[in-house]
Amino acid sequence: MIRNSLRRGCVVAISLSLLNLGSPVVATAGIIDTQSVIEAGQRDADLATIRSGLDRSDVRQQFTALGVDSAVVDRRLAALTDTEIAALADRMEQMPAGGDVLAVIGIVFIVLVILELVGVIDIFKKT
Amino acid sequence: MTAKAAGVAFGVLLTAGCAHHPALIAPALSESTRPVVELTDTPFFPQRDYQCGPAALATVLVASGVDVTADELVSRVYLPGRKGSLQVELLAASRSFDRLPYPLESSLSSLLSEIADRHPVLVLQNLGLESVPIWHYAVVVGFDADTDRLILRSGTNQRVEMSARRFMSSWKRAGSWAIVVLEPQLLPAVAERARYLEAAAGLEAARRHDAAARAYRAALQRWPEDTTAQLGIGNVSYARGDLSGAESAYRAVLRIEPAHAIARNNLAQTLLDRGDPQAALEEISAARAALSDPRFAPLLAETETAIRRALQSPERQSQ
Repeated sequence: MIRNSLRRGCVVAISLSLLNLGSPVVATAGIIDTQSVIEAGQRDADLATIRSGLDRSDVRQQFTALGVDSAVVDRRLAALTDTEIAALADRMEQMPAGGDVLAVIGIVFIVLVILELVGVIDIFKKT
Repeated sequence: MTAKAAGVAFGVLLTAGCAHHPALIAPALSESTRPVVELTDTPFFPQRDYQCGPAALATVLVASGVDVTADELVSRVYLPGRKGSLQVELLAASRSFDRLPYPLESSLSSLLSEIADRHPVLVLQNLGLESVPIWHYAVVVGFDADTDRLILRSGTNQRVEMSARRFMSSWKRAGSWAIVVLEPQLLPAVAERARYLEAAAGLEAARRHDAAARAYRAALQRWPEDTTAQLGIGNVSYARGDLSGAESAYRAVLRIEPAHAIARNNLAQTLLDRGDPQAALEEISAARAALSDPRFAPLLAETETAIRRALQSPERQSQ
């Protein structure tokens, strides 16, 4: 019985600490960071600092879903500013992800095959 | 005679008609810049799989004095599900190594100025079409105004020459995005104040306090009356637990701009932490009176609440 509740306590403690790991990097209470002041001068929208908590957990979920190891996801998020986190939360899917030139060859090949099939070009003719 | 003249005229027309594209590099160079520059000592990391992001980032980080490899950067910037790396993550990873990522103004001339100043430039290109983009990171390490070509470290090629015209179209299709990665006490060749301060604030947000302080001090040297850089020094001092340094930085902001409500709020918080809630209350009241941006109102109200709480329970002040 005692053992069980101990175990449960441990589970709760570990879960809490994990949750805590996931908690956003909040500006030190009372101090308004420089980023917010710069952002306020640029935009009329909501300040990213103020919405950062929800955005960070949203971006964390997206990163994890895209295959980022949970051991490093928080380190990666910690180096992003609130403004960048807000941008990721809003439109990560449309953001370019620089990849590979080898992929270029594949895509170009597919396009050429399609063009060939519909008769626009005929570079694959055997003659 | 007339036939000959006609022949010459025809020849001239023919040459004129020959589509010689106007040179791009020469007109974009500042007068003092040499026409041919190549940063041959820039390292090279051939990319693997889809990982041009880690490779390009390692190239500029090592060039700025960081000891790192492309492989070590994969876990920091690669998104397996997207088979690539996002621009903001390249910025973030640079910060993790105490380097200041500075996004360039979107022009060929600013890119060339940085290279001439020995800063290799990390660029995003779209090698595909507008509708079928193929995003690719590369590092521009040189240019030749005589041949109108740029020299890049790209993908698996240590040295790629690309005509300026082809480069520009691939770069423009990617939003003309380019960064230099600097030791934080160094300004870029062409330093724009707002851009630089935002980059410095990025280091502060990433809690790279020493690097942020170096960047803010560099900014203050260039723009001595800048209140944002001064505020930044205060914030970084506070974050490092240097309350007296923070206080004097906030006071410096207020000497330049007495109505700076944010500096006054931060000063109030610092005074509270230094055990003087009475002085803190005066500052926060003045801050709230001076505040012009309502978005900060809740934050100032929070500071005031904390101060009033401390005034009501004096035994807690010492915490």
